[in-house]
Amino acid sequence: MNSNNFSVVGKSVPRVDIADKASGRTKYTNDLSSPGMLHAKLHISDRAHAMIHSINLKKAWEVSGVRAIITGESFPFPVGPLLADRPPLALKKVRYFGEPIALVVADTEQQAKKAAMLIEVVYEDLPVVNSPSEALKSDTPLIHEDLGSYKVQVKGVYPVPNTNIANLTKIRKGNLEAGWKNSDVKIDSKVSFGPSDHAALETRSARAEIKPSGHVIVHTASQGPFYVRKLLSQFFHIKPGMITVHTPAVGGAFGGKGAVQLEFLAYLASRAVGGKLVNLQNSREEDLMASPVHIGLEARVKLGATQEGKLQAAEIEYLFDGGAYSDTGAGISKAAASDCTGPYSIENVYCDSYCMYTNHPYATSFRGFGHPELTFAIERAMDKLAEKLNMDPLELRLLNAIKPGDTTPTQVHLNASNIGDISACLLRMKEMLNWNPDTQIMKTEDGKIRAKGISCLWKTSSTPPNATAGAVLTFNTDGSVNLSCAAIEVGQGTKTVLAQILAEKMKMAMKDIHVKLEVNTHHDPHQWKTVASSTTYIAGRAVMAAADDAITQLKKIGAVALKCLPDDLEVGNSRVYVKDSPEYGVKITDLAVGYKYPDGNTVGGLVLGEGSYNVRHLTPLDPETGFGKPGPQWAVGVQAVEVEFNPEDFTYRVLKSATVLDAGKVINPQAAIGQMRGGMYMGLSWASRESFIFDGHGKILNPQLRTYDILRSSEIPEYLVDFVETPLVDGPYGARGMGEYGVIGMAGALGNALAKACGTDLYQLPLTHERIWGSMKGGGR
Amino acid sequence: MIPIDFEYHRPKAITDAIKIYQALTADNKDTVYYGGGTELISRSRLNEITPQAIIDLKNIPECNTFKREAGQIVIGSTVSLTAIADTPLFPLLSNVVRSIAFRTARNKITIGGNLAGDTFYREAILPLLLSDSKVVLAGGKGIRQVEIHEIVGKGMKLAKDEFIVQILINEKYTKYPYFNHKTTKQSKVNYPIVSLASIKVDDRIRIAFSGVCPFPFRLREIEDIMNNSAESPGERARKVIDLLPSAILNDMHASREYREFVLKQSLCKLLEHVERRVS
Repeated sequence: MNSNNFSVVGKSVPRVDIADKASGRTKYTNDLSSPGMLHAKLHISDRAHAMIHSINLKKAWEVSGVRAIITGESFPFPVGPLLADRPPLALKKVRYFGEPIALVVADTEQQAKKAAMLIEVVYEDLPVVNSPSEALKSDTPLIHEDLGSYKVQVKGVYPVPNTNIANLTKIRKGNLEAGWKNSDVKIDSKVSFGPSDHAALETRSARAEIKPSGHVIVHTASQGPFYVRKLLSQFFHIKPGMITVHTPAVGGAFGGKGAVQLEFLAYLASRAVGGKLVNLQNSREEDLMASPVHIGLEARVKLGATQEGKLQAAEIEYLFDGGAYSDTGAGISKAAASDCTGPYSIENVYCDSYCMYTNHPYATSFRGFGHPELTFAIERAMDKLAEKLNMDPLELRLLNAIKPGDTTPTQVHLNASNIGDISACLLRMKEMLNWNPDTQIMKTEDGKIRAKGISCLWKTSSTPPNATAGAVLTFNTDGSVNLSCAAIEVGQGTKTVLAQILAEKMKMAMKDIHVKLEVNTHHDPHQWKTVASSTTYIAGRAVMAAADDAITQLKKIGAVALKCLPDDLEVGNSRVYVKDSPEYGVKITDLAVGYKYPDGNTVGGLVLGEGSYNVRHLTPLDPETGFGKPGPQWAVGVQAVEVEFNPEDFTYRVLKSATVLDAGKVINPQAAIGQMRGGMYMGLSWASRESFIFDGHGKILNPQLRTYDILRSSEIPEYLVDFVETPLVDGPYGARGMGEYGVIGMAGALGNALAKACGTDLYQLPLTHERIWGSMKGGGR
Repeated sequence: MIPIDFEYHRPKAITDAIKIYQALTADNKDTVYYGGGTELISRSRLNEITPQAIIDLKNIPECNTFKREAGQIVIGSTVSLTAIADTPLFPLLSNVVRSIAFRTARNKITIGGNLAGDTFYREAILPLLLSDSKVVLAGGKGIRQVEIHEIVGKGMKLAKDEFIVQILINEKYTKYPYFNHKTTKQSKVNYPIVSLASIKVDDRIRIAFSGVCPFPFRLREIEDIMNNSAESPGERARKVIDLLPSAILNDMHASREYREFVLKQSLCKLLEHVERRVS
């Protein structure tokens, strides 16, 4: 990592939110109590697919303190970010186990819960659709009979009426037939896994009130308060200016808090009690089952290559398990199509990527947005190809690594800026892991097998073409700066990184930068969402623009004070000074609220810096070929895992886990390393053990953390992290995004390492000991 | 959040506890005794149990005893698993309870609750079965002492109005060679797929099981097979499978087939360990 000429960027400055968090004083949405606040609780479905015959509220109304009970009929219209297909409360039928059916508002949470439990629903069961491949069959029952009448909210979503297809994205690049003709070696690889969860520490929470003025005030644990405002406005016909959304610190999100769900319900609950403040907080079970989950996938990847290993053709089918409603699942299937091949240069690509409706909980964004999922499919296929070619898996990847001059599956031309350096990452990983053909599989003295597996990864942001962020700077009388920006601190360190960018740009010390942690749509400038590893880029650019604006204003007033032209001046060290004679200057303290002459006359008003940024030139994908530009740039990386496998009992341990990411520019090394470790942890946890377990009727058997297995901190491996820096020309100081990347390659790397150790194909996640035992029964190494 | 209302009682003497129970049930109140309350909290918040009254046993001095006395280890029913894990008066018991749940939960879970609660693994019972422990019970019939085997069948045979006061373990059993092995689905903190505990008394292996069937057990016939050293560990393990007191569990933690595999592996590991130790 180079740290040339920067005083704050590239330095591991402590997080700006560390003191309050370390001492337990940070307040999250549900930590704030308010006198007179009412409480809402949900009654959720215990069927995965059934008609609602009747709902009996009699016993629930008998509970003291109950103020209102609402059901699907209270707002019988579908909502949804991409395709409006989901009633906030189930209407006429339920489509997943855990679906909210009714909501009780009462004086206390206990009363609300008691009443919610006393609601009696009579169902008529329907056949349950248990997997995306089952959903695709023509004789499978329809989950949404009215799919053809649902309103598409965002261009580029293509539901297929009278099927269970919520979205289909096609990629047609080059000539597949020619590709197969040029291929000496072909492989056909399948993978699959079911839905899992984000399982953030803070369960989702929202509260709403409608003031007598009509002003709607929402507090929510969200990654997109402006997005909440947008959807509330859209579906309830409230002017955006009449909605204020507050988000304090968020206790982990991982994409799961980008979805809007409880906010709709809290609003409806408040509306039902005359606009009083109503709080709705998920229990852990509700957070796992009722709120949206991490998507599942069934994938088939066929690759063709020359004898030398050069990829010629890729034919790919992704069947995403979007669950009962499309939410952002329809965007995930599109994002996976855009990057369907992984970071490899392939001339001839054919991909059908489906978001399928099933009777599983509905999916929303999960850290990586389709990429951890597609990468598992592609990277297992690459290892199978390497085996068939009798080639080192790393060398095969090096030979095919995508680079400037190539095109992506959606035919975006890559250049030295918009794609990172995958080869450099591979070479660094080779060195870091001492990767060579002899050390990939080794026997230990006690009869265990150590093996290494590798995975490349890439991702672009799939942001909408109007994804934007803004920043506003105000100055305090001590010359320090307040940064107001709607990036959400979900624990990823974004506020620290934005403060560093501002400090660098203003040439100020970090102690003079004050970042507001919480976000309020009434005060803070608009921002799309804090998702897609895009905040450093989009909000970072907005902060730089705001700094430029403030600098211009400071120079303008400084020019009056220093009797020169603004161009003669420089800003730095909390001063405005003459470029060629830095000893002549004036403190920002003396300029930021106007420059005061000795006689009291004052020139200039307040310095208020503002700036914004919008992504450029993105386009929807062509419905027939996928041609289009899905994101501004591709960050790339390589991950690897070393496992120790016990062939006697089929158990394994992960010994090492490594990431090399092309970060463009690392703004905060320690924070970046932390992000990569956290990503690897999450990826390993998902790949090795996280999954919902369903019975044949679509019932979730493990809706609690005691049975929904998550990697324990005592089980984490040794982490190795390094970065490559290929600058993104228009990124802040060259930075690309990094929030999601640490997760993306872990399942591929773990699957490849274990498959090598076992000598058998491993194609299903999670990679539990029983699953390995099951696949070895047929004979392994 | 527990949605139901219930009466809470915390007697200071065994006799008071019994009286309160009798009064509450005479009043037709669904009443339960409890120790740590972890199961009470986790099940009642899901509406799986809805007691109208609960009796907290933690203030009864006899239930809090934990000592070595006159050749016996005396463990009160409300002694926490953490206390037992951290005080190795009976090292096998300490080992076994240390594998139950995680430390924060063990700080709350009591040994009485682990034995008499609804969660059927009851792993703390394994060392008690092996050491032919005695149990002091209190209830409508007054205070009585029984063999642990009398109250363990396919589940616990405690009368609804009875609670465990103490467990009495003959100290000699704490000195025999022992072995325990627990396999979970994946993470160490989880319910057992197979949990074995074993001691070797006068050259004879004793063994008790949890996680294999929907109740813990110790069977003479199984021990006979295990002690037949003329047969290989693998052969013995196979024969044990035929003698299990019910079908092997088949649930989301493990399939029946995988559990059987793990059980055989664990039995072989145990035999290798025990027989290597002797030779």
